[in-house]
Amino acid sequence: MPNNKEHLKSERFWGRRAILSTFRNGIRRLRLRNMPLRYQLMLLFLLFAIVPSVGLGLLVNWTVERVVERQVEGHTMQLIGKVNEALNSKMENLQNMTYLIAFDPDIDAFMNDNMPLNDDASGERMNKGAIAETEQNQLYGIKQTLQGFTTLYPEIAGIVLVNGSGDYISNEMYPRAEQSLIQENWYREAAANPGIFMVLGQPKERNLTTHVRYKDDEIVSVARSITDEASGRVRGVIMIDLKLRSVSQAARNVTLGKSGYVMVTDAEGQSVYKPEHPLIEHIPAEWFPSGESGTFTAETKGGALLFMYQSSTFTGWRTVGVFPTRDSISEVRQIQFYVVSFVFVVCLFGLSASLWFSRSIAQPIFRLMSYMRRAETGNLRPGRWSDRADEIGMLGNSYNRMLVQIRELISLNELRERQKRDAEMRSLQEHIKPHFLYNTLDTIHWMARKEGADDVSGMVGALSRLFRIGLSKGQDYIPLHSELEHMTSYLQIQQTRYRDRLQYTLNIPEELRDLFVLKLLLQPLIENAIYHGIKGRRGPGHIRVEARLEHGRLLLTVQDDGAGMSNERLAEMLHLLEAPLASLEASSPGITGKSYGMLNVQARLRLSFGDEYGILLESEEGQGTRVTIIHPLMRELPPIPQINNKERQESEWENS
Amino acid sequence: MIRPLEEVNVMKKMLLVYILLISAFALYVLRFEYTSQVNSSWEDRGLRGDIGETYIMITFQSGLEYWKSPLKGFEDAADALGVTVEYRGATRYDAKEQTMVIEQAIARKPAGIAISAIDPQSLVPAINKAVDADIPVVLFDADAPDSQAYSFLGTDNYKSGVMAADKMAELLGREGEVAVLTLPGQQNHEERTKGFRDTIEERYPSMQVVEVADGHGDAMVSRDETLRMMKERPELVGIFVTEATGGAGAGEAVQTAGGSRHPMQIISFDTNKATLDMIKNGTISATIAQGTWNMGYWSLQYLFHLHHQLTVPAPSASGENAPLPVMVDTGISVVTRSNVDDYYAK
Repeated sequence: MPNNKEHLKSERFWGRRAILSTFRNGIRRLRLRNMPLRYQLMLLFLLFAIVPSVGLGLLVNWTVERVVERQVEGHTMQLIGKVNEALNSKMENLQNMTYLIAFDPDIDAFMNDNMPLNDDASGERMNKGAIAETEQNQLYGIKQTLQGFTTLYPEIAGIVLVNGSGDYISNEMYPRAEQSLIQENWYREAAANPGIFMVLGQPKERNLTTHVRYKDDEIVSVARSITDEASGRVRGVIMIDLKLRSVSQAARNVTLGKSGYVMVTDAEGQSVYKPEHPLIEHIPAEWFPSGESGTFTAETKGGALLFMYQSSTFTGWRTVGVFPTRDSISEVRQIQFYVVSFVFVVCLFGLSASLWFSRSIAQPIFRLMSYMRRAETGNLRPGRWSDRADEIGMLGNSYNRMLVQIRELISLNELRERQKRDAEMRSLQEHIKPHFLYNTLDTIHWMARKEGADDVSGMVGALSRLFRIGLSKGQDYIPLHSELEHMTSYLQIQQTRYRDRLQYTLNIPEELRDLFVLKLLLQPLIENAIYHGIKGRRGPGHIRVEARLEHGRLLLTVQDDGAGMSNERLAEMLHLLEAPLASLEASSPGITGKSYGMLNVQARLRLSFGDEYGILLESEEGQGTRVTIIHPLMRELPPIPQINNKERQESEWENS
Repeated sequence: MIRPLEEVNVMKKMLLVYILLISAFALYVLRFEYTSQVNSSWEDRGLRGDIGETYIMITFQSGLEYWKSPLKGFEDAADALGVTVEYRGATRYDAKEQTMVIEQAIARKPAGIAISAIDPQSLVPAINKAVDADIPVVLFDADAPDSQAYSFLGTDNYKSGVMAADKMAELLGREGEVAVLTLPGQQNHEERTKGFRDTIEERYPSMQVVEVADGHGDAMVSRDETLRMMKERPELVGIFVTEATGGAGAGEAVQTAGGSRHPMQIISFDTNKATLDMIKNGTISATIAQGTWNMGYWSLQYLFHLHHQLTVPAPSASGENAPLPVMVDTGISVVTRSNVDDYYAK
């Protein structure tokens, strides 16, 4: 039980809590153990639900990203290699074509300048008759041959043959201006590398056009010069225009795992093919590390880019995959999305679960707390609890039982106190009457002595003694010898009346006479023994009073050889003695004078010393009755006033 | 007293946390959807196809220079739409070979086929087979009217014959014998011949079509045929050649014959380099220019629309106002020395 000061303090704290909480709790809440239990539980649950799932998510994401990235990179590299191979084989095809074209005898003749004809010149030569006709037939044959190639390879935009004199043959192409084609850059470039297949790339400002108007950026040209076997002299150049779309189709046809594209650049990094909206227009050649293939990253205007390339030694071209590094693979994004969704669901679920769980634990505790607070204010009504059967429910039930017990204890205490006070009140009132009475008795005693009435004098003296000891200055405990004196005074008076019919024996060891006992214990029993025992007997009766020590307790026995009790009576008495206070309160009709005295003694003993002390009643009809008082051993006077004060204080709290 | 208030506060806070969580997630989902749409939807990029879609153009005598222009149109449309095109064709003037090429194309399940029919009848089963296999088919340049092909894009050949006859009459002063050098049996050439012939007969009574010769679409054959006609018919003053290769052959024949004979007016067809050169030097008087590039370009556009079901095919071949035109005239014009420079490639 808290003492007054603590009680006040707690009340003040709870009263001002609302006002101070905002200020104080700001700092206090930062520590987990200072938070409300509900938040502690919630945080804990969330921690255990979310941290592992977030961790798992991150781990999965990281692993998947790495694995998929590596696979996709490998796959992409393979695709780039395939594109590169396709381009290579295309170029090799064209190279073969230049050889095939050169093998044609008519073309060989044309290259040898034996047949210097071209479309423009043909008109002038028409007059030369038969020779011209054979020449025309040869030209026709050459054109048919060339047409054969374009028939088989629709991706060829045009083929042009130029001999050393600047004459040309072509089905598709013709010069824009009347200017010898030998002066052209492409011719000179091809001538500078005799017999070597040259990939010229996209033509620039070329004096050649195709009838179907292929623009310069729609074609890629290759050329090879034809040399004289013996001298190595360049006899002419075969140039083939390849439609760029055949290159771009090869490059576009690969679907890369990443959100990038494939472009084809020449050795200088100039793009041969790039998509419509490229991320980078031109890749400087110095960016490429040495080696046939590789990967590198570079910062560009469009952000950081990842380049994967393979170069071809045959064409000098590089097939380059270009990817924005910030873009992750769509599969990875998909997985990321699922992971985030999963974490979210776990979060939501965890939050709900923790909310519910913390509520289900923290709320009863909170309720218990509020009930306790209510109990602190003195309201001991049991709280309402749900009928759960777990520890929480048990706690609630125990609490309610505890409250019931406390209430019972308090009411018992109240009853005891009230009875004590009543008794005291009575004794205080009796203090006045007996003083007057025994002064009067004293006077009578002395008067009787003066008059010589010795028996009256003795009787009055005994009566006076009886009262004096009965009052005993208001003290509850008196030495055993005083109690005996009180009892003997009573017996003396009664002997005066009953004369020889009443005899008594005292058997009190000398060492016990200084022990303290509750006062007025023996007299009511003697009175009972006389009135219900001796009086109801024929002939003289004997009362025996004994005192002895047993098991650290003082036993006082009053035994008569009177009428005794019937079995029913004894049973009734024993029953009444079980709950003396209640029996006294009830003042039931069964309580006679005899039972009152005994019940009074029993009640006082129980109230003063507890249930283990009291009266032991034995009786047999016609044989007598024996009443034993079981009394604690008290060698000195107990500190009665202090005990009384304290108890009173406590009971006051309980009642408030 | 304290309990309900605190309860309400906690509920409010939790509700706020829930709303925040859910809205954050919703935002994330929206962002994800948005970015994946940006990455993958082709509506955003306008009318674009997939690189995997292959459209095939099938001709006959596939090496002919004439096809290069429709093919260029076909390729240009493919670039614009981002699809793949292929060019196939019978290498010779051979209906069986072209049928075989079409069958091969069908087996590859392309997104669409544009065909120039070698003759009106022999390709019909193959074309119908393609249509039955749910492959959109359009015809260009040379029609096969009995087939189930969705559209024909080409020159109104009869009209071009009429135009050639008018030009011929203008050149010859509405009198004299004229001949036609053509490819008999091929629909478009037949129509051109018919248009030419009908017009001469109806409008120009003093003019006469004396012969329709077969040039085989070959320069040499045409040259020889021209020389023969010039020899056999001294009164012949004009030749209408219905295709370009033959025109060049006829021009060569006239050049070969030289001044030994009175001048010959040649009206050719198409605008290849040789023809243009001959117009420039006066060997050929005029030529009929066709919208060959248009044929290829719009063929692919039509096929693309059919393949993506952006339009529905005509309910019947005669449906003039069908959603997809059944007949498209790609236009013709007359090229003479005065405007020949415009037709050279720049």
